[in-house]
Amino acid sequence: MRLAVKSAELHQVFAAELLDRIAWFVRLRWAAGAALLAFAAAAPHAGMPLEWGRVWLVAVVILAYNGILHALLAIWRRNNQADYRWLARCTLIQILIDLAALVLLVYLTGGPGSPFLPFFTFHMVIGTIMLSARTMFIVGGGAWLACAALFLAGGTPPGHPPIPVEMRTAVLGMLACALGLTVYLTATVSSRLKERGVRLFRLAEELRDKTAELEKLLAEMRSIEARKSHFMLLSAHQLRSPLATVKTSLDVLLQGYVDLASPRAASLVAGASERVEGLLRIVGDLLELAKLRETAQRAPWASGVNLAQLAVDVADALTPVAEARQITLESSYDADVVLARGVPPDLEYAIENLVHNALKYSRPGGTVHIQVRRSGEFGMIEVRDNGIGIPPEFLANLFVEFARAANARRHTAEGTGLGLAIVNEVAETHGGRVEAESRLDEGSTFRLLLPLRGGQTQDPHVTKSERRVTA
Amino acid sequence: MARKSVLLVDDDAVFVDAVSAVLETRYQVRTAANGHEALAAIATTPPDVVVLDVMMDHLSEGFDVARALRSNEATRAIPIVMLTGVDEVFNVRMEIGESWFPYDRYLQKPVAPETLLATLGELLG
Repeated sequence: MRLAVKSAELHQVFAAELLDRIAWFVRLRWAAGAALLAFAAAAPHAGMPLEWGRVWLVAVVILAYNGILHALLAIWRRNNQADYRWLARCTLIQILIDLAALVLLVYLTGGPGSPFLPFFTFHMVIGTIMLSARTMFIVGGGAWLACAALFLAGGTPPGHPPIPVEMRTAVLGMLACALGLTVYLTATVSSRLKERGVRLFRLAEELRDKTAELEKLLAEMRSIEARKSHFMLLSAHQLRSPLATVKTSLDVLLQGYVDLASPRAASLVAGASERVEGLLRIVGDLLELAKLRETAQRAPWASGVNLAQLAVDVADALTPVAEARQITLESSYDADVVLARGVPPDLEYAIENLVHNALKYSRPGGTVHIQVRRSGEFGMIEVRDNGIGIPPEFLANLFVEFARAANARRHTAEGTGLGLAIVNEVAETHGGRVEAESRLDEGSTFRLLLPLRGGQTQDPHVTKSERRVTA
Repeated sequence: MARKSVLLVDDDAVFVDAVSAVLETRYQVRTAANGHEALAAIATTPPDVVVLDVMMDHLSEGFDVARALRSNEATRAIPIVMLTGVDEVFNVRMEIGESWFPYDRYLQKPVAPETLLATLGELLG
């Protein structure tokens, strides 16, 4: 085939088309056989040479093998026969048999003077459409050689008047021209059509790919949408619970269930205030999370972010908290852990969150250790405590919004359940990750791993900030 | 006549404080901060009614307590009031809701003090 069949699918399309054409060929052949029979019957009565009546023999042969083909075709269709090469071979065999029948017919009806000679061109047209120009040049050449051999040997069946040799040669010459031109012209037209068909098929394929892509995108967006609304639902519930407590406390006071001057009233007001504080913390964290998710591209990316420096700042800021809780804050820093790019405020927030958690879930007398060092391609901030630990069954939910383990909630009411979700978000926008290890009642270790060579988020507006003091 | 007793179960200490102030005007009030404490308190002295929060240490802790009470011959008759911020649609979503709910009344936080008192009044006669 001139046109390379590239994809298996295209191959199948061509095969199906070839099968259709074979069916069409079989229908044509029924007509040809019937016409020949009619011709054979009419010849003796229409003043044609008496020998032409023998044409019925050819008609019977054609109709017989067409019957076989008809049956085979039904079987191929049922078995969904779609091997192009195999079908092409079958087509070639048919054309060869047809041409052999035609040569016989030409011979029986007067050789060089046969009225059936033009039918060679019809066969060439059909053959070229179904197979290829090259094949049909060879097949046509073969048919022509058969005719040439026949004509030059005499060319007429017994009973026919002889035809002069010049006449025979002239007919052969004409026949050669007719066959060659027919194949060439047909091939030109049909290859253009075929090319257009291939292009159309490729376009359809592209369209299908694009549609699939869009559908995938749509599904993704739907899932994001679902996650968002679930998160909103969770957020609303998290806000409603403390709000309900505040409302109940205020109602109790307003409706006079408690004497406003009593210590109990003061305790209720203090409790309500504590819940409002918690609400503000949740709202603050929600805003932080929303900011991280919505504006990752607009964040103040800086180049050359020194992780040790950030950790030192956080440790300094939290030292009073550690002292108040009687917890030892230890640290060890490698000064050269510098991220190619990062968002310093977000990183600081994440580190602070981890250290604050460690302090929060440690018992008095405990130790929190902060370490900053390289770990392969990553800058690593490790925060280790020997506090209450995390129940193993809870580790999987650690970074889920609003998830707080039962022991954490018992340990302290403070905590929004959003801190680690934020840390995780910061890690992801920097192309890194958070790891957690913990043993219940023995302590937890969190590692924030950030790629030194810059995160996945590409931002063209990286602002240069001077490298801060190295530790 | 001795006052009837209410067991108030909720993990929010401030909420417990506020609601106790309301309940104490009519009932003898005991409190528990989680399901464990609640079951222990009921085993010692069964209250006349239990007011239960749903989400405490575990997502469906209140329901678990209610079911435990209903499946025990000795506690089956104790009326249960669910008082929670979790609405029923949310329950079904979290797949903790079932076709039967093991409680007598369902109140959503925040509840008006008089509504709570009225509900308990209905249950305790």
